[in-house]
Amino acid sequence: MLKRTDYLTRTYGKPEGWKLAAYEREYGGYQVAKRLLTTMSREQVVDEAKKANIRGRGGAGFPMGVKWSFMPKVVGAKPHYLVVNADEGEPGTHKDRTLMELNPHAVVEGCIIACYAIGAHVAYIYVRDELHLSKTRLWGAISEAKARGFLGKAPFGKDWEVEVYVHSGAGAYICGEETSMLNSIEGRRGEPRMKPPFPANAGAFGCPTTVNNLETIASVPAAFGLGCDEWSKLSALHTIGDGGVRLYGINGHVKKPGVVELAVGPTFNELIHDIGGGVLGDKAIMCVIPGGSSTPVLRPSETVNAPDPKSPMHPHHGKSVFDVPLGVETMRQCGTMLGTCCVTVIAEGTDPVWCMQNLMQFYGHESCGQCTPCREGSAWLHLVCTKLLDGEATKEELDSLHDIANGIMGNTICAFGEGTAMPALAFLQKFRPEFEAYVKGARKRADAKLTVEPWS
Amino acid sequence: MPTFKLDGKTIPFEPGDSIIKAAERQGVEIPHYCWHPGLSSPANCRMCLVELVPKPGQRPMMLDVLELDEATGQYRPAQKPKLQPACYTPAAEGLEVLSDTSPHVTQARHDVQERLLLNHPVDCPICDQSGECKLQDYWLEHDKSGKRMRDEPVHKSKGVEFGPTIVYDGERCVMCTRCIRFMAEVAKDPVLDMRERGNLNEITVGPGRQLDGHYTFMTEHVCPVGALTTKDFRFKARVWFLRTAASLCQGCATGCNAHLDYDPRYNKAYRFRPRDNEQVNKYWMCDEGMLSYREAHDGRVLEASVRGKPASVSEALAAAKDLFAGVAKESVAIVLGAQHSLEDNWALRELGTVLMDSRHVYVSGRPDGYEDTILVHRDKNSNTQGVKTLAPGARPLSALLGDVASGAVTHVIALGGAAPVDAGDLEDAKLVVVAAHEGPLTKLATVVLPATSWAEHAGTYVNARGLKQVAEAALEPLGSSRTAWSLVAALASALGYQPSWSKLRQIRAQLTAPTAADAPAAAALAE
Repeated sequence: MLKRTDYLTRTYGKPEGWKLAAYEREYGGYQVAKRLLTTMSREQVVDEAKKANIRGRGGAGFPMGVKWSFMPKVVGAKPHYLVVNADEGEPGTHKDRTLMELNPHAVVEGCIIACYAIGAHVAYIYVRDELHLSKTRLWGAISEAKARGFLGKAPFGKDWEVEVYVHSGAGAYICGEETSMLNSIEGRRGEPRMKPPFPANAGAFGCPTTVNNLETIASVPAAFGLGCDEWSKLSALHTIGDGGVRLYGINGHVKKPGVVELAVGPTFNELIHDIGGGVLGDKAIMCVIPGGSSTPVLRPSETVNAPDPKSPMHPHHGKSVFDVPLGVETMRQCGTMLGTCCVTVIAEGTDPVWCMQNLMQFYGHESCGQCTPCREGSAWLHLVCTKLLDGEATKEELDSLHDIANGIMGNTICAFGEGTAMPALAFLQKFRPEFEAYVKGARKRADAKLTVEPWS
Repeated sequence: MPTFKLDGKTIPFEPGDSIIKAAERQGVEIPHYCWHPGLSSPANCRMCLVELVPKPGQRPMMLDVLELDEATGQYRPAQKPKLQPACYTPAAEGLEVLSDTSPHVTQARHDVQERLLLNHPVDCPICDQSGECKLQDYWLEHDKSGKRMRDEPVHKSKGVEFGPTIVYDGERCVMCTRCIRFMAEVAKDPVLDMRERGNLNEITVGPGRQLDGHYTFMTEHVCPVGALTTKDFRFKARVWFLRTAASLCQGCATGCNAHLDYDPRYNKAYRFRPRDNEQVNKYWMCDEGMLSYREAHDGRVLEASVRGKPASVSEALAAAKDLFAGVAKESVAIVLGAQHSLEDNWALRELGTVLMDSRHVYVSGRPDGYEDTILVHRDKNSNTQGVKTLAPGARPLSALLGDVASGAVTHVIALGGAAPVDAGDLEDAKLVVVAAHEGPLTKLATVVLPATSWAEHAGTYVNARGLKQVAEAALEPLGSSRTAWSLVAALASALGYQPSWSKLRQIRAQLTAPTAADAPAAAALAE
């Protein structure tokens, strides 16, 4: 069900909406942080946050409140840190950027609340290198907040120092993975670390650390402002632990691509047609990438199979996956992932082999190269896909593709491996005839398209 | 001791052990590239992946993959369990681990092995690592399939000089990062790192630096493949022609356990490699030590000489007899050698203090030098402690110089050519030297007898911490050299005494029998 809201985006499009004046006008400005810091204990904030059912907005969908509760209850000899993930390097994902550019004060206020809740005094916002305007706006918001005493030694008179810093990445996709982000912040090579230890035990500089996505943090003031229970109930899926509102992105072959704030639970069809204005050239949809290129593609012909009445998916049994509310659990049941919620629509007429080759080029290029299956496997996938496109691949090479991907799946240090293997396997499984056509010479690169013409 | 099960076999472990370490202690190898018992575990090679059997009631973590039905050409969904690296997963009581018995593990090893060789040049015929390469070993054990990728492999830097000792081949590298970790964790000089990303990765030296210092050879030694080679050994020998002896480094008083690799066809030593010994050198050796294998050939005394002129051993012994004719026993001194074995020193002590009844006992050796807190000892002699136990009252060479100057000593028999101080004043004495290596004393000597070096005879050495260790013989005696203890016996006979020893075991029986605690080397020998 499509429900537009403006909890995160009220300042979007307003004149100088990124300034403190606009934030105060539209949201009351840091009143939520002030109330929390002055009237609630750390534990109360965490308990309350759990009720908001905010699933991590970075892609894995881990409940935010639960993550906060993993931090040591008492701050020991080692300080705690909050690290905000705004690396946002996933192809097709561009939602955090709008928050940083158009509502940076929500991020800063969220940082204050999160720092207090997890016992941290310092927050690092790790922003992708290319997002220069985002970094400028965040620094602007931080200095405005500091000038008013919302940040610093004693925010709102509460003896709980909070400092927020913006840390620029160097343009590596892998630094969006939480542990390589920590390495990067420490000045090391951006390579994922083995877990355990998890960041809550040994994160930045070996100290307890919570890593949250930027949108997750920006949702915090709104959730507490409304009341965490109320906030959760905005969602159509709050009964299965997926609450609140979030930013949905729509891009690819749609007439009106963009980012929009919706209560959790719209369907693909609603997003594509009501928000995106339909497919370019009014073509049929070949497939969608649910969110972030690491998620397996879905085709409109796929249906939900949940005959068991006890299954949470049973209400959608027999329906097209395009009519299922988009949530963390529902998408998992559909054999894919919700990810970052930025849907890429691919219209009929696009070449799926080229789509896969395009993605594999990205993953082959961005693999950090630390562990063998991903380092060699992702580049090999790219190589074979390129040969397929060029008509140089044999049947044996096509038949080796799934095997290469299987060898990456689950065998790597971080989730990058799965992020490469899952879309590769999904493309293979769902478009095998098109792949075979390249081997047989029935399809050629010269005829292949990644775009849709005519533009509507 | 707590235990876990590996392929049904019970493996005991110590708290803190990883699965791979506990298994290795029991002699069960889980294949690995990046793991090294002396370094941290980055778990990056993924060769040691094992399957953990879920506990009753616990659901295994399964991953969705695809299988291809050859008959229909259709994919069908399949599942596989999430595997865990044995080098990183701690051993735990009651854990059930599947290694060789799991088809998923077999598949994963095959996959990793294939991926590692994907862009590898497979230039084994011209690679120095060939014959002792993990890629070769594991391909035979876990892969044995032909190469599926028929395209041009990725090309990277080759023949990069990392420093004065090490050359790097990026194409052969498997990115296990052992060299990086060795330099950072053991040598405490984090000069190596990785550059680029993905399959363009290569090892690089820090800007403005080169790979130098006292532990560069170890980077080659920890390298499981032929990516790092030493300028000293590369292109010198094929390892399958080499034999190895469990030897000891003679470079300093640390007494690092070493493999001495030699070619029996040419009776030539080619290199030292560290021999693991937790109590002495762990898994490491220093550069100076690794290069000291050269002393098996360099600077050797290979022929006898009298007054600087070559002579046969019997001529030299006759000259010594003439030299010592009619000398009073109060005027005779012996100089024990801190670079020679316990057995050699025992023989000279026996000749000097028992047969000749001399009171003048001294000790000589190389002067002190560089030291560090990792391995290198200030004392550059391998057996200073051994001489101390044989002759606790032995005085330093400087005392002998005084005694010669004062006329108290006129005749000297010395073991070893080295001297820690300027020994020019010994010119005034009648000097007989039994030595394996040339040094100040052999230059001053009237008679020089050629002794075998540590590489050519078995000998016992006591390191700075009092640990008695045995070095095996590797080479046949070079030139006219004979063991120093037998030369001392011949000298005794020439001087008219009856030596009590003619065999090594007679001397060893006289030396205090080494206890089990004294000889960890024996355990290491078993390797």
